[in-house]
Amino acid sequence: MKAKKKKRQDDFQKVKLKVGKKKPKADNATNTNFRTKGIHLSEQLKRDTSGPTTHRQLGINDLLSQLHHYNANVKHSALLGLKELLSLTPSLLEQHLSRLLSEVAAVFTDKDGNVRVAATRVLRFIAQCVPAERVAPFFPLLSAHLSCAMTHIETAIQEDSMKYLDVLLEHYPALLAARPAVLLTNFLELISHRQNSGGAKKAQEVKGTNWALSVSIDRTVTSQQWRLSVLLRLGRFLQAVVEERPVEEGDMSVATEGVFGSTGEGRLKPLFLNWEELTYSKAGVKVYEHSGAKPTPRSSYRLRPEVAPGGAVGENLDSAEAVQSFAATLVPLLLEVWVEASASDSSWNSTDSAHLLTPDAMSVMFQVLSILQLLRKLAPQQEQQESLDAWFRKEYLGDFKQHFMKNFPYGTQDTPKHKKKVDLKRSKQSAAVSAPAVEPLALNITLCQVMVSLGQRQGLSRETDGDWLTLLRTFVRDTLSTGVKLSYRQLHMLLGTVWKMVLTQRSKTLTEDLLAAVYVYYKQKNLTLQTRSLLLSFYSKLYLQEQGHTHLARSKVLCRWLASLPVQLSQLGHRNPFLSERLILSIQAAAARGNKDLLNSLQTQACRLYDPQEGVVVLLPVESQQRMVQLLYFLPKMSQPLLANLSCCCTAGRISAGLAASLIRIIHLRSSLSGWSVGSQEVALQDVDYISFLFSTLTGFSSDKLASLQEAGDESALPCSPLSPLSLYPTPLEQFTHHWDIVEEVCHCLETLGSKSQCFDILQNGICKYLTKLAVVPDSMAAGLLRAVSRLLDLSVLPIEPVLRFLSQCCLSLLALLITLQQEAPTETNHKREAIWGACILALSTVPRLLRMVLQLLRVGDLSEEELPQLGQVLSMLLQHTPLHNQLLANTALLQEIIQHLTRYSRTATREQWLTDLLYCYSLTVSHGSSSHRGNMGLQDMY
Amino acid sequence: MAAPLEVILTSDSGSPLWNSTVFDLHSGSSLLSYRGGNSSARTLVVLRGEFLLSAQLGKNVINVWEIQRKDQLQQKILCPGVVTCLMASPNGLFIAAGVAEAVYLWEVCTGKLLSILSRHYQDVTCLKFTDDSSHFVSGGKDNLALVWSLSSVIQLDLNHAPEPRYVLSRHSLPITDLHCGLMGVQARVATASLDQTVKVWELSSGELLLSVLFDVEIMSVTFDPSEYFLFCGGSDGNIFQVSLCSQSLSRDKSFQSDNDGNQVFKGHRNLVTCLSVSMDGTILASGSHDETVRLWDIQSKQSIRCLTHKGPVTNVVIMTAPANMFLPDTRPAVPLPRFSRHLHASEGDVGDAGEVCVRLGRYTQEEEETYLQKAERLNSLMNAVTDKSVYGDGENTKVRVAELEEEVQTLKKINKDLYDFSSQLLTKPT
Repeated sequence: MKAKKKKRQDDFQKVKLKVGKKKPKADNATNTNFRTKGIHLSEQLKRDTSGPTTHRQLGINDLLSQLHHYNANVKHSALLGLKELLSLTPSLLEQHLSRLLSEVAAVFTDKDGNVRVAATRVLRFIAQCVPAERVAPFFPLLSAHLSCAMTHIETAIQEDSMKYLDVLLEHYPALLAARPAVLLTNFLELISHRQNSGGAKKAQEVKGTNWALSVSIDRTVTSQQWRLSVLLRLGRFLQAVVEERPVEEGDMSVATEGVFGSTGEGRLKPLFLNWEELTYSKAGVKVYEHSGAKPTPRSSYRLRPEVAPGGAVGENLDSAEAVQSFAATLVPLLLEVWVEASASDSSWNSTDSAHLLTPDAMSVMFQVLSILQLLRKLAPQQEQQESLDAWFRKEYLGDFKQHFMKNFPYGTQDTPKHKKKVDLKRSKQSAAVSAPAVEPLALNITLCQVMVSLGQRQGLSRETDGDWLTLLRTFVRDTLSTGVKLSYRQLHMLLGTVWKMVLTQRSKTLTEDLLAAVYVYYKQKNLTLQTRSLLLSFYSKLYLQEQGHTHLARSKVLCRWLASLPVQLSQLGHRNPFLSERLILSIQAAAARGNKDLLNSLQTQACRLYDPQEGVVVLLPVESQQRMVQLLYFLPKMSQPLLANLSCCCTAGRISAGLAASLIRIIHLRSSLSGWSVGSQEVALQDVDYISFLFSTLTGFSSDKLASLQEAGDESALPCSPLSPLSLYPTPLEQFTHHWDIVEEVCHCLETLGSKSQCFDILQNGICKYLTKLAVVPDSMAAGLLRAVSRLLDLSVLPIEPVLRFLSQCCLSLLALLITLQQEAPTETNHKREAIWGACILALSTVPRLLRMVLQLLRVGDLSEEELPQLGQVLSMLLQHTPLHNQLLANTALLQEIIQHLTRYSRTATREQWLTDLLYCYSLTVSHGSSSHRGNMGLQDMY
Repeated sequence: MAAPLEVILTSDSGSPLWNSTVFDLHSGSSLLSYRGGNSSARTLVVLRGEFLLSAQLGKNVINVWEIQRKDQLQQKILCPGVVTCLMASPNGLFIAAGVAEAVYLWEVCTGKLLSILSRHYQDVTCLKFTDDSSHFVSGGKDNLALVWSLSSVIQLDLNHAPEPRYVLSRHSLPITDLHCGLMGVQARVATASLDQTVKVWELSSGELLLSVLFDVEIMSVTFDPSEYFLFCGGSDGNIFQVSLCSQSLSRDKSFQSDNDGNQVFKGHRNLVTCLSVSMDGTILASGSHDETVRLWDIQSKQSIRCLTHKGPVTNVVIMTAPANMFLPDTRPAVPLPRFSRHLHASEGDVGDAGEVCVRLGRYTQEEEETYLQKAERLNSLMNAVTDKSVYGDGENTKVRVAELEEEVQTLKKINKDLYDFSSQLLTKPT
């Protein structure tokens, strides 16, 4: 038992520790004698094979899950990875857009600044790739996170939320602007705080000023700069909201909003068709799918009053009341900001230089003004805008006058450069704020625009408005007339101001004053195209306004401007077709209104404008040419030189045949012979001039040209021969067809003149007097003359001998030319040949004497050997043409003689193909003729 | 001979005997001629089916005939200038005339000159009312067409010059003709111009729907009643037909050699100045400066008939024949008052008459509601018909059938009686 006890004690032996001895190690002691090192799994060993990865082999799922990591660095690197991955494989973006957006947006309110910056970068990247309509479903989420960031308790996050907002504003302004209400409150809260302190609440609500600017000390930037940055974004945001509004067509909004020339395009897209397209194209016209039975939304007829959405009034800025209530909150704040900005300056400035501002203050003020301006434009409709203006005037005119106008023409202050260090720091800060530098000019102009919109329409209280408006007016006038360099935008705003002043003031002298200043600017030499057309459209719009404004109607400056337009147009030449187009449009508008000054000026310039060589009408592109031709209609008088020029324009081929035809028709309409006259419009040209115009257009060549052709001799024209008694000058194919088309039009005009016989008389007199002496005749002219004669000839009239002789010569020469053309037989002369043949045949069949003379001209004895076949061909062609048979039969004797001669002269050679053909044709014709004469007997003869 | 249903009213500027003539649409025979002077273009107007008005060519006078007295002028209305166009509102309450740049508007029942609209810058060339007389459109040589609301024009407020509802300003040369389609304010307006285009506008919004560019100036334009086609008379004598709602049935097209109904009526040799389409849309009448009026079959585009005149044709109108045109003994229900030449002349002359001025302004201003109501009524009517035909209960129809049979019986009996009576009368030896 004892041994047993002893044994047991062995098991639990007490270790005796002794002083001075080392403590023995315990058996179960861990050896801590090793070192550790962290293992960085920067790359995954196992490749994520399901999809593309970053260079660290992380797939998109890994990266997204890492965004929930507690460590800021992990999140940061995950964001970097995301950006890399997405830029490598954009297709991922489409697959994972919803997750991406929700995860990335969630880290905008992250505590770590780097993470936020990276998140903004990723968002910017996504925004660049994804169009707005695909983001739209996720946008509520994004904007919720944005609001969250903007209202965050940490100021750093608030500040970064501005960058986030910037991205959204840049890429999705429309989406952002769709729900403006929440954001607007957020903006307010960024720079101010609500004063709802108990009992005073009610009284303050009545006044609507329960917001006050807040100052927080712990920001990294000064409160002024912070406000500037917020205001900058607010301005951009409002701009987006305004741009989202459907543009209402109206003089004011167009004048201030868009370019003056741009009228608001309708919702309906009109169809523009061409008759030729319409006839040849298979595509049908469907006019009514545009409109249907319901009137369009743009119609001002309302079937029922628009239902006012009850609860939504406060939510959106769609109604004037909502805008007004928002403005009521914002404007006092803006005024405070303004006062603060100006006060901070004047503290270290003497009072006499109170109008000099530091750049910072200036940009703040500029932002204040632009926001005010945008607030005005927020009103959805024209009439609401006016009521809003009135409200502004009522509420704030006093304040505005006191604060804004006190030191009105503001200037910039030369910032002393002695504190280098401070400057450096400041520049860094302003870089963070990223406010663009603002010129004093821009500030002043914006101020003008804001203040002018408050000006009253009628001169009811001129006295009260007088002082500050005069100040503004002087500024505008000086700026324009002293030739200060203005940017396009600034000029646009200035012109908008002038527009508004002119239309609201309704005073003749003031209007003249302002317009004269604009005119001084307009007359400057080196303006850019954009500026020039802006000024042009300003004036032409203003001119179009004259109906309702008597003080504009007789404005001297406008008249002078109008009168100068034709001169400018002719001086401009072909250098700038776009500007010419604008000029022509303005001229046309004024001409249609029968403006005396313009018409006089146009008339004096007409000869230069319509010069066939270097006139505008031939230099400009086709549309402008057409307008120039239309402008002719409005000319009060058309002088002879002008008509000569126009005739040359028509024939020279530098305007298309269709346009030339419409030119001829317009002149026709303005002559007394057209028959279309409504009311009492005096004719523009004398009948004599008109007919001589038609005649010279018909000939197609001026007398000088014809004379030079006569002298030029043989090198260009075909030589004359017995077969072709006139020497024909072959015109190029294009010219021929052009002239042919014009001849058709002239003939039509001549036909409609009235008495055909008189008309023909005039024509043949003209031919007799000017053309019969010619030895060299262009073929186009010859064909044209034959065509005109055959169209105009009445059977009752006999053409006189010399004319007939000339025509018969023309005809024979043309027929000879036809034979040579046929031998060449290129297909492109087809049209020409047909035209010539048609003209000859028609003339020969309508004027029987002509055929006889042609036949008489054929003296076989004079012909040379090689001309005989040609003559034969001519004759057989004539014989083959059935409509001519009766005429030919009337001249059987003559014909027989010619054929006998032919057979005799060609006996020398072997009987050739052409002669056989001819004889066959001849016998056929004669037998046919005799058969028709003698009936059955002829038939028997044939057999 | 039964009185014709539709007649053509034409006038020319050269005839020494007649001012205007009435032809039967189908036989082409001349029915009536009105004497005295010549009418100028676009001024021949029938007022209320009782009076014929036309402006004297080159003089500042409007001639008025009673429609059944063809030889005698009822009245001459003196105007301040040469009348360029004249139109009566379809309800017969107003007359509008273009004199130089201004449009003069008279009230027919009193003869008062209601307003002078001088918004055009140059001569007014044409005027048309909508078929509900609520608006009218004026076209001028200043390239503008203006849409006026009649109710706003006749307001008594003198401080405000009336403003047109829309300014149609897309033409670049004078407007030669315009046509206003049916359907009141929802009508479509076609304007033709010397700039070789015809444009179709929507009256309710003032928007351009269609613009067709032709090769020649267009002098006249009209729609057919269903507005399937647009007819445009050119200055070269051709009439162009534009199909506005071509059916794109491909199976038809492959066998069609011609192209889609965009075709040309050929026959006139000079300006086609006036066009008019018959009520059923089968016949087109055109008048031209070649001194003929032609009737065309629209389907086949052939000239059916050619009516020669003595001078350039100035007016051609196809209209329903007024009831008392061919009854020489009738009198107009209400005589025409004298038309005044000056605004508010009545105040000086008959200030003591104590007359009450009644304007239709209110009625026409509330047209929005009436349209809606109309549509609703129409809808309920249609529903009622279908309801009855589809869901009509048997009981009701039986009763109805019985009633109708009874009615037929009575009618038969009456007929029989009538027959007996007349046969008795005829067979009775005298």
